[in-house]
Amino acid sequence: MSTTTADVRAEDGKSIGSADRRFRLEGLGLTLVIVALGIIFTLINPRFASVDNFLNILTQASTYIIVAMGMTFVIAKAGIDLSVGSTLAVVTCVFFGFIDDGMPWALALFIMFALGAALGAVNGLMVAFLAVPALIATLGTMVAYRGAALLHSSGKLYHGLPPEIVWLGQGRLFGIPVPVIMAAIFVAFCWWLFNRTRFGLHCRSVGGNREAARLAGVPVSRIEVLVYTFMGVCVTIGGLIWMARIDGTQATLGTAMEIHVIAATIIGGTSLFGGRGTIYGSLAGAILLTMLNNALVIAGVEFFWQLVAIGVIVVIAVTVNNVRENRIVWLDTLRTRRNQKSRRARGA
Amino acid sequence: MITEALEPHQPLLSVRDIDKSYGGLRAIDGVSLDIKRGEIVALVGDNGAGKSTLIKMICGALRPDGGEILLRGAPVSFGSPKDATDSGIETVHQSLGLVETLNVPENVFLGREKTFRVFGLFNQLDLPKMRAETRRLLEKFRISVPTLNEPVFRLSGGQRQTIAISRLLLSEPDVIIMDEPMAALGVDEGRQVMDLVVNLRDQGIAVLMISHNLEHVFQIADRIAVLKNGRLVGVVATAETSREAVVAMITLGAA
Repeated sequence: MSTTTADVRAEDGKSIGSADRRFRLEGLGLTLVIVALGIIFTLINPRFASVDNFLNILTQASTYIIVAMGMTFVIAKAGIDLSVGSTLAVVTCVFFGFIDDGMPWALALFIMFALGAALGAVNGLMVAFLAVPALIATLGTMVAYRGAALLHSSGKLYHGLPPEIVWLGQGRLFGIPVPVIMAAIFVAFCWWLFNRTRFGLHCRSVGGNREAARLAGVPVSRIEVLVYTFMGVCVTIGGLIWMARIDGTQATLGTAMEIHVIAATIIGGTSLFGGRGTIYGSLAGAILLTMLNNALVIAGVEFFWQLVAIGVIVVIAVTVNNVRENRIVWLDTLRTRRNQKSRRARGA
Repeated sequence: MITEALEPHQPLLSVRDIDKSYGGLRAIDGVSLDIKRGEIVALVGDNGAGKSTLIKMICGALRPDGGEILLRGAPVSFGSPKDATDSGIETVHQSLGLVETLNVPENVFLGREKTFRVFGLFNQLDLPKMRAETRRLLEKFRISVPTLNEPVFRLSGGQRQTIAISRLLLSEPDVIIMDEPMAALGVDEGRQVMDLVVNLRDQGIAVLMISHNLEHVFQIADRIAVLKNGRLVGVVATAETSREAVVAMITLGAA
């Protein structure tokens, strides 16, 4: 800021907020990338640009979108959750186990959500009260929950859900797949929660500056437990849709899901260093990744190559963010040197 | 706040014969100081003179070993900084205490957000109200910032410091204590903060300010209190002293 006091003096306070942008176009770049990729994929394979394929992509993306919503809160709080895929496996396997035992689906559903919230809360309690770094805490539960899912199912492939549950994954309302509708409603809710509630603000404040937030009276530990619990609930909703969509589950469901979800969130512009995030970005990121997968499948590329692609994309996304936020020291040094040189040239 | 009962010239805040020791070290030794409403008192002295210890006792972070603190003529005893805040004493610490990724109204209202009920069930943040009140607060103290809805790390150091101070003004305190408010700021930025401090005084707030920079002190302080080795060397009116005299008090401890 090179403005001096003289030219920003608050005469009648006119200069307060004078530079505020009326329209903020934060997600525009990502939207353009999605449109551009869509056009490219269509040029390569005209089958890509059909309404069916479009709805298909959104249906596939719905689980990732919903889990990425929770991840946006977690990462904005300067946390991370690697255990989402394993949590998803545990809750779906336990749900199926109850259904197979003849429990009414409504009760099983209730237990599933309570379990999802509890598994998330375990992560939050470790982070908030045992000071375990989120990366390690959730790495631990990632392995532990996967083990629990395998123990519970003993390698079984579950199949056969009540029709009410299957409808959640395969049904349509007014021609639109139910998972897409559920994801849309959930995204709207999360946008509100993130931007318009105390909870969302407190998540962002804890991620931005934990100590300042604590001094300002934000209940930091409570927010930490709540945000991971919310993550667990998101995973449960995502898992419910996923198992309904394929009408089945197994203990390996959701393997490598964490990297997809974290990638979607980071591509969306949520800072890994905490404090900032956008719901729209995570939505767009999840759609972008699913689109990419879809195109690779249509192009007949092997699944393993898709993993390679995802890994590369994550690193690129973080790098782009770092460049944008001036976080790369040697680049900054180069820039400073260049500026000094040009100033000296001008002076001479 | 209860202002009517006060005599105009009665001090708002008085420190009487206050002591604080750390083990065998007397950090503060029998210091007495008065601050009136609408007055800037600068606290100067060498490193280790006891400036920080003194303000920590006033803002409730430390308990004095002896002596008393009077606020509006009545003795007070603060168990925590929150007690001091509740009695109308706010403190600006050296670290800003802002969440740099949040915007201005979010920072100002963090921890005491304005909300309203949606469907009689959920509390929603009242962003327009917080924004309007922030604007009114900034106008009242003539603080100018170019953007309210950008993260505050986009603002200059001086603007961030004025925001950090304005946060405290929301509770309408009577006394504001500042620990080096102009430290680590450029000339223009320091100017912005000094303008704000003068505005605070003009609004009737009592300001106690630690500063190392005598230039700043002579520009805005009404009185200068000099500490050396935990003792009060003297309190002088800025208009009736010279920089040389104050430097002599700081280094030699002679009034």
